[in-house]
Amino acid sequence: MLRAPLFAATKRAMSTSTATNAFHSRFQQYALQLDATNERRERLVKASRDVTIHSKKVIFVIHRLNDSNRDKIVEQAEKDLAAVRDAHVSRVAREVEGVDYWKLKRAFSPGMQEFVEAATVVEFCKTGKLLTLQQLNSSLCGVKDASGVSFSVDIDDYLLGIADLSGELMRLAVSSAASGQGLEASARIRGFVQALYEGFCLLFYNVDGGRDMTKKVEVMLQSLVKIETTCYSMHVRGSEYPASIVDS
Amino acid sequence: MEQFESFRAEMDASNAVREQLRSAVSELDNATRLMNAALLPIHHSSSGDSIKKAKSYLPEIRKAYMELTAIIKARPEEYYKYHDYWRNQTQVVVSLLAFSHWLETGDLLSHADAQELLELKKEDFFLDLDDYLVGLCNMSSELPRYVVNQVVAGAYDCPERVSLFLSDLYSAFRLLNLRNDHLRKRFDGTK
Repeated sequence: MLRAPLFAATKRAMSTSTATNAFHSRFQQYALQLDATNERRERLVKASRDVTIHSKKVIFVIHRLNDSNRDKIVEQAEKDLAAVRDAHVSRVAREVEGVDYWKLKRAFSPGMQEFVEAATVVEFCKTGKLLTLQQLNSSLCGVKDASGVSFSVDIDDYLLGIADLSGELMRLAVSSAASGQGLEASARIRGFVQALYEGFCLLFYNVDGGRDMTKKVEVMLQSLVKIETTCYSMHVRGSEYPASIVDS
Repeated sequence: MEQFESFRAEMDASNAVREQLRSAVSELDNATRLMNAALLPIHHSSSGDSIKKAKSYLPEIRKAYMELTAIIKARPEEYYKYHDYWRNQTQVVVSLLAFSHWLETGDLLSHADAQELLELKKEDFFLDLDDYLVGLCNMSSELPRYVVNQVVAGAYDCPERVSLFLSDLYSAFRLLNLRNDHLRKRFDGTK
């Protein structure tokens, strides 16, 4: 009902006013700009999803780890991780020059968080240490954006990735306890996640993504408690297991 | 663990930036509110005075943007990191400017002109295109009320003019391939 007169008015306006044409051509310009940004955003979402999928695969590789195949698995995971970086993180990097990094950040954050998680889990299995943001970013120094500046992960994505790391470590701790690899492995993970949690409590999360962060830290605490309970029951009930399992 | 200490320092720094932005934006907010209030009598009294009065707040608004510019200029790549702070106010500012521009000239304020009116330097602190377009949508929702009041005041040609203008604007917006986001919702609201 409302449409018909509107259309009629449009036609009349187009034929009579030249000012209209002027602002129509401006809008065509705006349309180009919006399209460019949207296409870029779409490409980023795709690239980010690929980073997520392939980073998850790296983490799966790590979960196949046991005492006998440690070196081989870690080596494999490292190789896969480098492949993710070169094939997919580089695609993200290409799209986010200058101001666009923050403008489009939400499109690629999930992928980067997963990548952080994979990279840190690999590092933990290799050295037992936390891969720092600085180390991570220097491993990314070969990945450039369109203007040749090195791509880097920002603090928020790093922290959110690390928060997820505790969940993976919980799985590692439980599975290593279940496979009878003894107290030591889970105790190491426990100490690590405890330190991580303490680190998180040092920071305040009223920054961007603050709500995400609060939720993740809660989950982190749950994981930590689970790890601690696992260690506890192994400790207390250790005498019930044959010494060969407990000590190994 | 030293890493977390350094994160803490960095977050403190970014919170300090936020603090600065908050105070600059509250000035902007203030000036915008005054400008809006000055423009409102347009609905019932002669237009000249209101527009003039509204425009008298422009220097204050410019000053607030200058402060924002100064803060962002130090970290040019982080414009969008803090964009949320001034987004709403900027949309209101655009709608006010566009409205008074239309009242004066019957024409649509362009993105570049809006930027110029606010004396923003493109390379330091630009006007986000989305903000500009949302501002226009806001303005167009103000117009019907204006029409009603103009008719009451006896200006019977006003509906025709506004209808022409709005349908132009409407058809212009249809040139944009809008993503299914806030802008689209606003635009759908103008139909």
